[in-house]
Amino acid sequence: MMSKADKSAAAGASVPAASRARTEFARLISYIVFGLGSVYLSVRASALPTSRWEPLGAGSFPQLVFAVLAGLCLIAAVRAVIDIRKAGQLDGLATALSGWIKARRISFALFGCLVVYLSVMPLAGFSLATFVFLMIAQLLIAGLSKKTVVQSLIAAVIFSVGLNMLFAEVFNVFLPRGVLFAG
Amino acid sequence: MLDAFLAGAHQVFAFDTLIYMLIGSIAGIVAAAIPGFTVTMAIILTLPLTFTMDPLQGVSVMLSVYVGGYTGGLISAALLGIPGTPSSVATTFDAYPMARKGEPGRALSLGVWSSFFGTVISTIVLVLAAPPLALIAVKLGPWEYFSLIVFALTIVASLVGNSLMRGLIAGVIGLGIATIGPDPMMGRPRLTFDSDILLPGLPFLVVLIGIFAISQLMSEVEDHGKKDASGALIPDVIEFKTWSVMREVLMRPINLVRSSLVGVFIGALPGAGGSIANLLAYDQAKRSSKKPEEFGKGTPDGVIASEAGNSATAGGGLIPMIALGIPGSAVDAILMAALMVHGISVGPRLIMDNADLAYGMFVAMVVASLMMLVVCVLSMRLFLRVTDIPKQFIVPTVMICCVIGAFALNNRVTDLYLLGAIGLVGYGLKSLDYPLAPLVLGVILGPIAETNLRRALMSDGDWTVFFTRPISAVLLAAALLSVIFSVRSVLKMRKKDRPTTDEQDGD
Repeated sequence: MMSKADKSAAAGASVPAASRARTEFARLISYIVFGLGSVYLSVRASALPTSRWEPLGAGSFPQLVFAVLAGLCLIAAVRAVIDIRKAGQLDGLATALSGWIKARRISFALFGCLVVYLSVMPLAGFSLATFVFLMIAQLLIAGLSKKTVVQSLIAAVIFSVGLNMLFAEVFNVFLPRGVLFAG
Repeated sequence: MLDAFLAGAHQVFAFDTLIYMLIGSIAGIVAAAIPGFTVTMAIILTLPLTFTMDPLQGVSVMLSVYVGGYTGGLISAALLGIPGTPSSVATTFDAYPMARKGEPGRALSLGVWSSFFGTVISTIVLVLAAPPLALIAVKLGPWEYFSLIVFALTIVASLVGNSLMRGLIAGVIGLGIATIGPDPMMGRPRLTFDSDILLPGLPFLVVLIGIFAISQLMSEVEDHGKKDASGALIPDVIEFKTWSVMREVLMRPINLVRSSLVGVFIGALPGAGGSIANLLAYDQAKRSSKKPEEFGKGTPDGVIASEAGNSATAGGGLIPMIALGIPGSAVDAILMAALMVHGISVGPRLIMDNADLAYGMFVAMVVASLMMLVVCVLSMRLFLRVTDIPKQFIVPTVMICCVIGAFALNNRVTDLYLLGAIGLVGYGLKSLDYPLAPLVLGVILGPIAETNLRRALMSDGDWTVFFTRPISAVLLAAALLSVIFSVRSVLKMRKKDRPTTDEQDGD
């Protein structure tokens, strides 16, 4: 029969093992996604017409590259399955995933802001879109307070209008002008 | 020869040329310090400004931007962990951990001095050994080039990250990304799915910014609220001792000279530049080090190797350009274009017909490296101010600079959509502990590899030629050995560090 100390030691050792199994499981999913994607792309590349002038056509190199990628993913996936089986347990996946997302909530929110910013730039123009993006992104990271609002406002004005002017006047790079706002 | 040398020096040391070079040096450092703004971009933006100058004056200014740019990349690499240019990818391996440990000043000083000595050594080699080195470089056929790229990719995959397999997968994903768009030989569209966004291919710079910068910026805010209250990227007090660091660099002469010579050789190979040289020099330093386990954790040898290696390619790249009229890199091609705008034909007759210009370029290289050193030493405190800026300002602002960098390349809004998508993929890969450097290198090397493979098989359809040509066979054998060596060391490390790795992996 196990003593209390032995039990807690065994539990302590199983925590990293379970964690390792979860990480390997996440990687296994990536190997499967990349593997299946590369098989599809390899098949697509093989459908490209061959060249009359050379032994290799336009599709040969991508076909080769994606076939190699599929092979590598297969080997990595087999190794990942072995590692998961060695680790023995794969419990608490949902909890771990929600913890993972929670730790990265600001990163994902920032990325969401970036996507919206890039999407509206052709409409709103660089200066306006950048001003709004900088305001939101800065407050998202720093939190909402009187001080951060003032600081963010100043920084947003400088880096939206200022950068646009710098690139237009000094580097002759004209950043996107919007349909709704030409700045 | 002496007359030509003095005539060239006389033109370079003219007051207005020196002022322009100083501005160029500052511009190069600042441009390369912005993630996504490459040396090539800075040079392209400088080119129209030199049209009204004398040929040597114009080329001298562009060389200042070039030399400054190779050093500027280290600033964001050391302080933010984002390589300002592809040439400073390996700099992040040790300069960033060193800065994170509270020695950002030392990391920057090491990089600046290594860059300076790397450039000076490469210029000496350029002057003394240009003809034989260029002859070696031009003897390489498509078979050797393809094998060289295979070798470079296996080195990169084994060099970075915790897993050779994930490194190889990342490298091959990079090669795959490079195949999207028009094929490099005939221009036939491939894997574009009839999408206007994919039709021109995935621009390398957009991939670089998305993979490195966007993913790095997203992970910067990951632990927000848990870490330091100040929110500064590098919180500790900054102290850098410029002169003692200079001695520190000089106390590692073998690493410095070896890395510089690697940079010169790689720079002399057409197509290969600082982006490969910094990784190869780093790899060589790691392999020959008595303490290879310290690499990646903030060892000075890693910073010295990477920075000396990438800066030395500036001189190396000029060797085939001046001696044979073959540009060693995209930047050298722009330098060549600048000379051709002034009606000067670049080729073997350059040294005979315009000796003052050729020797003036050698002098300008040395002057440019001195200027870079002076600018960096005097304004290093200014660069370190970046560390005092809270994340709330720096992360969104650098993101904006990345967006501008991606847009300015082709003035295409669709590139921005690609940037977002690639950034998300990069963040996913980073979270799963895939090394990102092999992927980016794969994107750069993909078209070169494909072109040379197809050229090789066009001239001789026999695959065995890759193994019967001596240099190609040696390079392929070296690639195989590199993989075997890495697998062996990974297995050894696994046995040794299993419990530690388990805990790290579980993070």
